[in-house]
Amino acid sequence: MKTDTNFFSRLYNSKDQLWTLIWITGILSLGIWDMVFLNKPAFNKVITGFFNTFTIAFIVAVFTLFLGWMITIALNFTERMKNRVPFLMLMFFLNIIRSVPQIVGVLIAYVIIAQAATRGTFKSGFTIFPAMGIAMSLFIVIELVDLMRERIDHFKKLDFYNAMRVCGISESRIINFHILWKNSRLHIFNKLISIFGSAVFLQCSVDFIISVGLSSDVNSVMLPSTLGSLLAKIDSKQDILAIGSIFTNPSYITNLFTLHLQGITVAFLIVFSLYCVYAISNGFAERHRL
Amino acid sequence: MKNKLLEHLYGIVFVTSILIAVLLLFNSNRKNETSSRNVELNALLDMPISNINDAFQQALAEDAMNIFYPGKKQHNDSLFSELIQLKKARYTTKLQRAHVAQSLSFEKLVSLSGMYLNFIFAYIIVMLLTYYGVQTLALWRFIRHRNTIDQISSSHNSGRSVKSILAAIPVKLFKIIAYGVLFSPAYVLAYSIRTEFNTDSTFFMILLGVLSNGLLITYSNKFYTFLKIEYHRGYVESALVKNLACSWKTDVPSGIPLGALLHPRKRFKGHVLDHIYRNAHMQYIATIKEQASFLITGLIIIEMALNIHGHLTYEMLRQILYKNYDIVIVIILGIFYAVKATDIVTDYLMHRERLKYEN
Repeated sequence: MKTDTNFFSRLYNSKDQLWTLIWITGILSLGIWDMVFLNKPAFNKVITGFFNTFTIAFIVAVFTLFLGWMITIALNFTERMKNRVPFLMLMFFLNIIRSVPQIVGVLIAYVIIAQAATRGTFKSGFTIFPAMGIAMSLFIVIELVDLMRERIDHFKKLDFYNAMRVCGISESRIINFHILWKNSRLHIFNKLISIFGSAVFLQCSVDFIISVGLSSDVNSVMLPSTLGSLLAKIDSKQDILAIGSIFTNPSYITNLFTLHLQGITVAFLIVFSLYCVYAISNGFAERHRL
Repeated sequence: MKNKLLEHLYGIVFVTSILIAVLLLFNSNRKNETSSRNVELNALLDMPISNINDAFQQALAEDAMNIFYPGKKQHNDSLFSELIQLKKARYTTKLQRAHVAQSLSFEKLVSLSGMYLNFIFAYIIVMLLTYYGVQTLALWRFIRHRNTIDQISSSHNSGRSVKSILAAIPVKLFKIIAYGVLFSPAYVLAYSIRTEFNTDSTFFMILLGVLSNGLLITYSNKFYTFLKIEYHRGYVESALVKNLACSWKTDVPSGIPLGALLHPRKRFKGHVLDHIYRNAHMQYIATIKEQASFLITGLIIIEMALNIHGHLTYEMLRQILYKNYDIVIVIILGIFYAVKATDIVTDYLMHRERLKYEN
């Protein structure tokens, strides 16, 4: 009994774990509800859209970590060089990427990917996922680079950096292992959680825009179906429009959860997931005092 | 500051030159598309045939060609049939693109400028509202948090009555709805109320820009974190020793007046919060660049996803669809300038703040 109390109090205090559990429970409960009330083809579409969205977001987080680490190391290396030109050039290009709104960059990248898919560049449907992941991570990576550089600068001001240098430990080992891995991995992981949330948001938004505005140019055959493209479909849109009717007819609210389930499910999955990712990230930062 | 400004200027010049080069390349490609690879055929493209589907006119033109280039009948025949095919293809393309093909003319630039000004207007208003909203919300949360801690430490009864739990239910419900709205992407929110309200106006765009896409909640949380970090710094204890007011209630003279909290220019004279706020505010200014980029992303999503006609980024989406890439490039350049202008203003504000504390 004591163990149970400890488990629940520990869970309540570890907000990130609590919110992960809430997220999983919420998704599962919704899944059970949908199994009962949503027709099978629509349910299958929602499942595919959900997994595609979160797979791409996961790929974005992985690529961002890889790319961010590489850029940080490159910046650190070029900064110490006598010739300042490579460092300034790199910073210059990063600042230019920073000045392009993420949605514009991702939208243009997706249009290019869709055109490449039309020409048959991607041999299988799964090769398009990494392409989309890389395209998005290019416009998100700056956030991670900023964090990593901030961490390196902070530790370089401390005594331990100079002490390690005096002991003959190589610069790359201090940066990669002692600063980034041993002392900053929690910060990096926390950033990756929020990057995952940003990726879900951007993915859904771009797919919604493409499906609404560029449907004759880019269609669902070219890009994998996601929650955004599902929401843009006419039946989902009508489901969302039905929410407005509760302002004039409040009793209609019960119908929303049975008759308009496809659109409501997709919208709920997006909003609920975004909120849970935000809460997980905050809880993680709080628990580890970041 | 001078170096920062130079860096921004180089960036503007670099991106402008790249995009202008792409624009020129696109225009020259478009011209080449209309001409044929066959030089001989190009010379004949302007041959006047009023109705290319009329057999009589075709025969007349072919005869004229044979008179003009005698002794090459076979060559003339093949060249002529190629010419007719090319003319037909050009005519069909022209018909298909009649309502969608546009090029960058002076009139188009004027119309784009109007849309751009509208976009910038909405951007500035949303920026000011979120700047105010982020700080007010974060301060409100921080004051409530400190108040709760004070109450817990002064109260001996740690349990909660059934009455207080029941009273908290409406507040919790309101919170769930508020978080649902704040975290909704703009298109979910707009479509859910579209049957009752007109969501295509600039006013609604501003409202959605402030409330949706998680902008307000994300940055108010950031500001709240800055406030919490600042509260634990040593200078706060020094200020308390110097007898600065430290009550977190809003209804006592030594507390924080509600008017000061809601005022756009936040000053809490004689209260420890004034110093905490000032230090947190300086850190917040550094994040404005990031917030501005996020805000522009949000506004673009609103205009594009809701198909708001006559607005800049909806126009961009339309031009991408019609493959009028020269107009798309000009719009992207405009958005880039807006981001760069924000970067310059933010750097200037940071520089001014630093100067204040350095002296």
